[in-house]
Amino acid sequence: MRCLGAIFIAVVLLFGCAERGAKLPQLLAVSAESAPPECTDIFPSRGWQFIHSIEFSLDHGYGTTVVGVTSLEPRRIRCALVSLEGFTLFEAGFDRGTGLHVQRAVPPFDTPLFAEGLMEDIRAIFLSPAGAMQRGQSSEGKKICRFITAAGTVTDIIAADGGCPQIRSYSQDGRLRRLITGSGCQKSGPGRIPHYLELRSYGGSGYTLKMNLLRADRIS
Amino acid sequence: MRPAIFFLLVCCLCSPLAIARADSGDQPFRLHSIHARFVQKKEMKILARPLVSTGTFIFEAPQSLRWQYHQPVASLLLMHEGRIRKFVGRNGKLVEEKGAQLDGMQMVLAQLSDWLDGRFSDNEMFRVVSADEAHVVLEPHQPGLARLIPSIEIVFGKQRGLIDAIKLHEGPEAATTITFSDRILNEEIAETVFISK
Repeated sequence: MRCLGAIFIAVVLLFGCAERGAKLPQLLAVSAESAPPECTDIFPSRGWQFIHSIEFSLDHGYGTTVVGVTSLEPRRIRCALVSLEGFTLFEAGFDRGTGLHVQRAVPPFDTPLFAEGLMEDIRAIFLSPAGAMQRGQSSEGKKICRFITAAGTVTDIIAADGGCPQIRSYSQDGRLRRLITGSGCQKSGPGRIPHYLELRSYGGSGYTLKMNLLRADRIS
Repeated sequence: MRPAIFFLLVCCLCSPLAIARADSGDQPFRLHSIHARFVQKKEMKILARPLVSTGTFIFEAPQSLRWQYHQPVASLLLMHEGRIRKFVGRNGKLVEEKGAQLDGMQMVLAQLSDWLDGRFSDNEMFRVVSADEAHVVLEPHQPGLARLIPSIEIVFGKQRGLIDAIKLHEGPEAATTITFSDRILNEEIAETVFISK
């Protein structure tokens, strides 16, 4: 019985870590008629604000739950993290002209690394990836839109018929850095933002964000 | 920081300010316990419309507390005999949340006994800058804290000794207001309320 338990744990660990260190898959050519759609229509248009509950957990165990505010304004992105008790923990904005501007940051959210990482996550979730796009499929036949930047980073959007697409970001060396999955995607006003969304970061200090959409508001 | 603010609000609600104010009236009144509903309204410039949360809380002197949010995110904070536990709703269940954020509570607990003993003006973290029949305004001593919370306003209700609302100012463009209702005073409360979810 003890042996069976050990095997079970080993199997769980093996599959639980399967995505960590995953390499960029080869993109196979497809015919024009079977190519995936543009993929960028899954992202919401500007002029929307999203409120999520966000369960944040670090790989080493620390975790907390906050309310996240994300505003996709015409010329900039703004975001805020608010504790469940209503205290503003973090607030920042980003636009292409002036870059990242942090208005408020309370420990442990007061490091530049956190602010940059948060903005990267927001861009990955809500905005179409940067870079030139190629369309193809994986060896398993999954349709992929691949975006490659000049710096060599890669983002794959893996289409899902009727479901939520998967977004996978790879570093220059082809290692998986971020995985975004979702459920409850419905084509409605703000695009196809899922009601539940999970972001897994495989960087130096790995973490997971589990986000439940509380509401979406149109903003001017 | 978050626990600091939270406990400040709760402690204000059940504070000797309320008791002292009641004591100065015709009918001496001592608050031993309170059970109430609350609506928390968060306003920020970034928000298209305020974030509104609702919940209930139960307090029993000297330091037992059950503070529970029902909407939009279920969560529960328990404090009893120096022990603090926090639970957050996940998949329909309240799951205990353990981590570094609870450390800050220890600092605030050191202030708690002062407040309950009526030593607001001597408090290491906050001072009373104005007070009258209708409200009290507190400000932090430390500039670092004052940058995050310039002031806290406590609004008294018509019933002597009770607080109607607490408004935490985070600057000119952000504030959180907690408004209380349906209060039940000085009822007997089972100890398990502060121990189990």
